[in-house]
Amino acid sequence: MIEAKEVDKSFGEHHVLKNISCSFEKGKTNLIIGQSGSGKTVLMKCLVGLYEVDHGRIIYDDRNFSEMDFEQRKNLRQEIGMLFQGGALFDYMTVEENVMFPLNMFTHQTKEEKLDRVNFVLKRVNLENVNRLMPSELSGGMRKRVAIARAISMNPKYLFCDEPNSGLDPQTSGVIDQLINEITKEYGITTIVNTHDMNSVLSIGDNVAFIYNGELWWNGNKNTILHTENKELNEFVFGTELTSRLKR
Amino acid sequence: MKDCCNFSKNIPVEFKVFTQTGDYVLLMLRVFTKPQKARIFWQRLMDEIQGLGIESIGIVAFISAFMGAVVAIQTAYNIDSPFVPLSAVGFTVRQSVILEFSPTVISLILAGKVGSRIASEIGTMRVTEQIDALEIMGVNSANYLIFPKVVALLLINPVLIVLSMWMGILGGWLAMSGFGLVTTTDYVDGIRLDFEAYTIFYSLMKTLFFAFIISTISGFYGYKTNGGALEVGQASTKAVVVSSILIILFNLVLTQLFLT
Ligand SMILES: Nc1ncnc2c1ncn2[C@@H]1O[C@H](COP(=O)(O)OP(=O)(O)O)[C@@H](O)[C@H]1O
Ligand SMILES: [Mg+2]
Repeated sequence: MIEAKEVDKSFGEHHVLKNISCSFEKGKTNLIIGQSGSGKTVLMKCLVGLYEVDHGRIIYDDRNFSEMDFEQRKNLRQEIGMLFQGGALFDYMTVEENVMFPLNMFTHQTKEEKLDRVNFVLKRVNLENVNRLMPSELSGGMRKRVAIARAISMNPKYLFCDEPNSGLDPQTSGVIDQLINEITKEYGITTIVNTHDMNSVLSIGDNVAFIYNGELWWNGNKNTILHTENKELNEFVFGTELTSRLKR
Repeated sequence: MKDCCNFSKNIPVEFKVFTQTGDYVLLMLRVFTKPQKARIFWQRLMDEIQGLGIESIGIVAFISAFMGAVVAIQTAYNIDSPFVPLSAVGFTVRQSVILEFSPTVISLILAGKVGSRIASEIGTMRVTEQIDALEIMGVNSANYLIFPKVVALLLINPVLIVLSMWMGILGGWLAMSGFGLVTTTDYVDGIRLDFEAYTIFYSLMKTLFFAFIISTISGFYGYKTNGGALEVGQASTKAVVVSSILIILFNLVLTQLFLT
């Protein structure tokens, strides 16, 4: 379980996160939803320590992340996998080298063991025979899958995904969502996903936090989200043609 | 940890140079640490020597040969007194190439070629979140990305500069014998006249300084890029301008220091 307690974050005058407290459960796909610019990415980067919070605490299974020094964080980070919005694959490395990178950096496995692991995770994300390709030769969906493979190569306890299906067609988005959800259940990972896609919310939202203007506005799950009285959330949920027809 | 390099936010422009120097020093403290995995460091170093060094050989040789030729031709045509021997041409080429042209001008050219490459490569990694990806894995991204580049330039730039010296002198000779201005014997006599090995040492010391400036300044501007493709371009321009200015300033300081 990961908990955020009274988290505040500003960039200069711009107060982006306002007193956010919420928790994300193990073995569940926890979603952070909200409009573009509402602060989802900043919240996620605060959770993993890429940004320092101005105020508040981040707790990983009773370990206070905010009080850790550089070395302790480095150790904790080896339990974290993260999928970035654009994939963030290293563009001068092949798919295989990308997925193997954390293993090379942090394990003492033999070449064969590492290769086994790489092929295993690539297979898990339904990618085969792409080992020698460069990231620039992959489609958007494949990049995301390689990035997922890299994120889970070290068997993380915590998985963070920033807009895993931005820029993908609805069908591929669904595939990526299901993949993240399955992996979460299969390995009992604490997964946090940022999204503004209602399809994802309704299919994989075990636990949903709605961020509005940097504040935690609503907390629930995929079943309760269609039946709330919250005005801003309703506007977000029923904001598209498709979902507004659903309401009628 | 992006936040460690964010001193310069919300501070009046006049103080920027101080806060940037502070940011630079903080970044360097993260760069100059022991690499996490020696084998990966060696691999990165070899790649950088290839990318930053070997690929610069052509341009360095080309520019040096032509500059040597031009210096020789200028000198040859400007000697009209019968009291100045023609060996002065070889002497002038040698002195200008070894003392200033190769270490300083070639370093400036490398600041353009290599500096922009370093800044845009690292800047692109920053804006596409590849640096965040490294940090998340627990990699010291500053050390992983910048340190091999610094070491590569410190190793390869002296080699390039020595090559440049040879090519400059060779270019001067080709021009002189090609146009029949000075005989080979006179030219070589000039090259050998009062030669002091110390000048080579002095040149290489300057080169090492400049290599350090190019790699760390460009690494710094790339690493602290913020935004998108536009900012990557700006970072790479800044890297070239600032390292060129620093090379010129330090050239004055070092020349004073070494020659007194
Ligand atoms: N590094 C930064 N410096 C300044 N402002 C930032 C930075 N990162 C994000 N912001 C601001 O924080 C707000 C929230 O951004 P973000 O979390 O990226 O939104 P999203 O919910 O779309 O992911 C935006 O207004 C953005 O301009
Ligand atoms: Mg975002």
